Amino acid sequence: MRLFLGQRAWVLQRVTALVLLFLLALGAATLLTGPPLDYERWHALATSTHGAVLIVVFFAALGLHGWIGVRDIALDYIHAPMLRLALLAVVGVLLFAIVIRVVLTMAAHFAGGA
Amino acid sequence: MRLSIYRFNPETDLKPRMQDYELAPEAGDKKLLDALMRLKTIDDSLSFRRSCREGVCGSDAMNINGRNGLACLTPLVGLKEPVVLRPLPGFPVIRDLIVDMTQFFAHYHSIKPYLINDTVPPERERLQSPAEREKLNGLYECILCACCSSFCPSFWWNPDKFIGPAGLLQAYRFISDSRDTATAERLAYLDDVYRLFRCRTIMNCTEVCPKGLSPSHAIERIRQALVRESS
Ligand code: SF4
Ligand code: SF4
Ligand code: FES
Repeated sequence: MRLFLGQRAWVLQRVTALVLLFLLALGAATLLTGPPLDYERWHALATSTHGAVLIVVFFAALGLHGWIGVRDIALDYIHAPMLRLALLAVVGVLLFAIVIRVVLTMAAHFAGGA
Repeated sequence: MRLSIYRFNPETDLKPRMQDYELAPEAGDKKLLDALMRLKTIDDSLSFRRSCREGVCGSDAMNINGRNGLACLTPLVGLKEPVVLRPLPGFPVIRDLIVDMTQFFAHYHSIKPYLINDTVPPERERLQSPAEREKLNGLYECILCACCSSFCPSFWWNPDKFIGPAGLLQAYRFISDSRDTATAERLAYLDDVYRLFRCRTIMNCTEVCPKGLSPSHAIERIRQALVRESS
């Protein structure tokens, strides 16, 4: 029974951490250089194909990384099965909702043909 | 010298208490265990385990001034006084400094701490090259004193499910043995979110091992072996 994966989660945690680190650095570098950061520029960045894809990737990695981290904390400290299940369910749904929201926003924008 | 020692007798005490002792060490008393043995001649109700008195059997592991160690390897000089002695943290106390190691050894046995090899045994022993033998250094020396596991926060949180640094170091000892043919099964057993992956590389284990071994390094190698196995 592989309800809680062992090494796959561990590897994913590390891979997503690297992705997050890279995208954060890239984001910081992009935002700190170039023209002043106003709404126009934000919008342009977020709606360029590159920007949109990277933002979706960022939030997907964030969701996965957060999920594995919270799951680890729950496995360590929360031993009451019901409480653990409840916490994991809430956090799981929350993280999933965030990722879906980002994807939907992007999809809506591109479908809207802006 | 002054000592403060954790006392608990399950037959008479409801709660553990700390008892203070004054002791005048004699000329031959070099290590903490010598002092404890002398104390035992004064108060024979004081209970602790010991056997080899030279760091080989692993039975006198205890918490010495907040740090796990073997009493027989701890020099008296340089010990801050009062010397506070407690049983190994995270283990059920049987009496005074004696803890219940049942679970610890159950974890040890779970990793099958023996060579598994189904091929026909040769006429004499299974040979290893010097390089293959070299891989067991830093692993085979473990005396199962439990200083490491008892100092591992992950082991405190999940003592029943996380194998702990001692058991994992032993697991790696057999994984890296060229004469053992069960590497894949061993790795499959360890690929579990509790058994191996509760370790968070806090490295208390390596920091505290009285034999100078590095369980956290062994754990890292198991993880690498798992990644190699699955790629
Ligand atoms: S690894 Fe070191 S501390 Fe842990 S049981 Fe073995 S000898 Fe003791
Ligand atoms: S490195 Fe792992 S096994 Fe060692 S003390 Fe830390 S969590 Fe425990
Ligand atoms: S008495 Fe054997 S290790 Fe200390």
